[in-house]
Amino acid sequence: MIYKVSYVVSGGNYPGGIKNENERPQVGAVVQIGRVKFKVMEVHEIIPPRDDFQFLHATVKPLEEVEPTKG
Amino acid sequence: MELVKLLSSVPLFSGLNTDQLTRLTSISRSETFNTDDIIFKQGSTDDRVYIVTRGQVEIRFADAGGGDHAALYLGQGQIFGEMALLDKGARSASVLAIEDGTEVYSITSTALMTLCQQDTAIGFIMMRNLALDLSFKLRHKNLDPTTSI
Repeated sequence: MIYKVSYVVSGGNYPGGIKNENERPQVGAVVQIGRVKFKVMEVHEIIPPRDDFQFLHATVKPLEEVEPTKG
Repeated sequence: MELVKLLSSVPLFSGLNTDQLTRLTSISRSETFNTDDIIFKQGSTDDRVYIVTRGQVEIRFADAGGGDHAALYLGQGQIFGEMALLDKGARSASVLAIEDGTEVYSITSTALMTLCQQDTAIGFIMMRNLALDLSFKLRHKNLDPTTSI
């Protein structure tokens, strides 16, 4: 099973990300989105599974203060 | 065969059999980028669809004030550039690699559409999967107030 995960950052102004994971993300785990590491706070199914894929949404919180992403 | 296995783990190709995946590999091109390498720029007119097979990419939008901002990060298994594939419009955002060794595969709109017309089973599955990917991105956007895709 492959997990397609929508990661959304709770609070702040840092954009989230989407990526495939080989294991279902666990609450408390650390994940890197872009250039920053985050702690997973919540995980739930966003749409029903299809073929070998599960579709999840995870809320994450920065491990440390993150800078705004203006270029 | 290794590429076929890799593509089978990408949702865009979900439901395709080994023979169909092999035909897709024959029209795919691999490129590797390092951190901050630009894959394409907002406003450009290339019509390739890209698949991230290693590393991460950053989607950036230009601001009205002349700056730009990151809007979304895409990792392994995700696709980008699909809007230009479908509507042939200019790129709506810039995309750059944010990890050394970021690997992407790309397919031109013309090659993909030709393959889809030759094998309508591939066409049906790919168009369904493209719609699902756009739907997933919309759901992500609905949940992420900082995202503008």
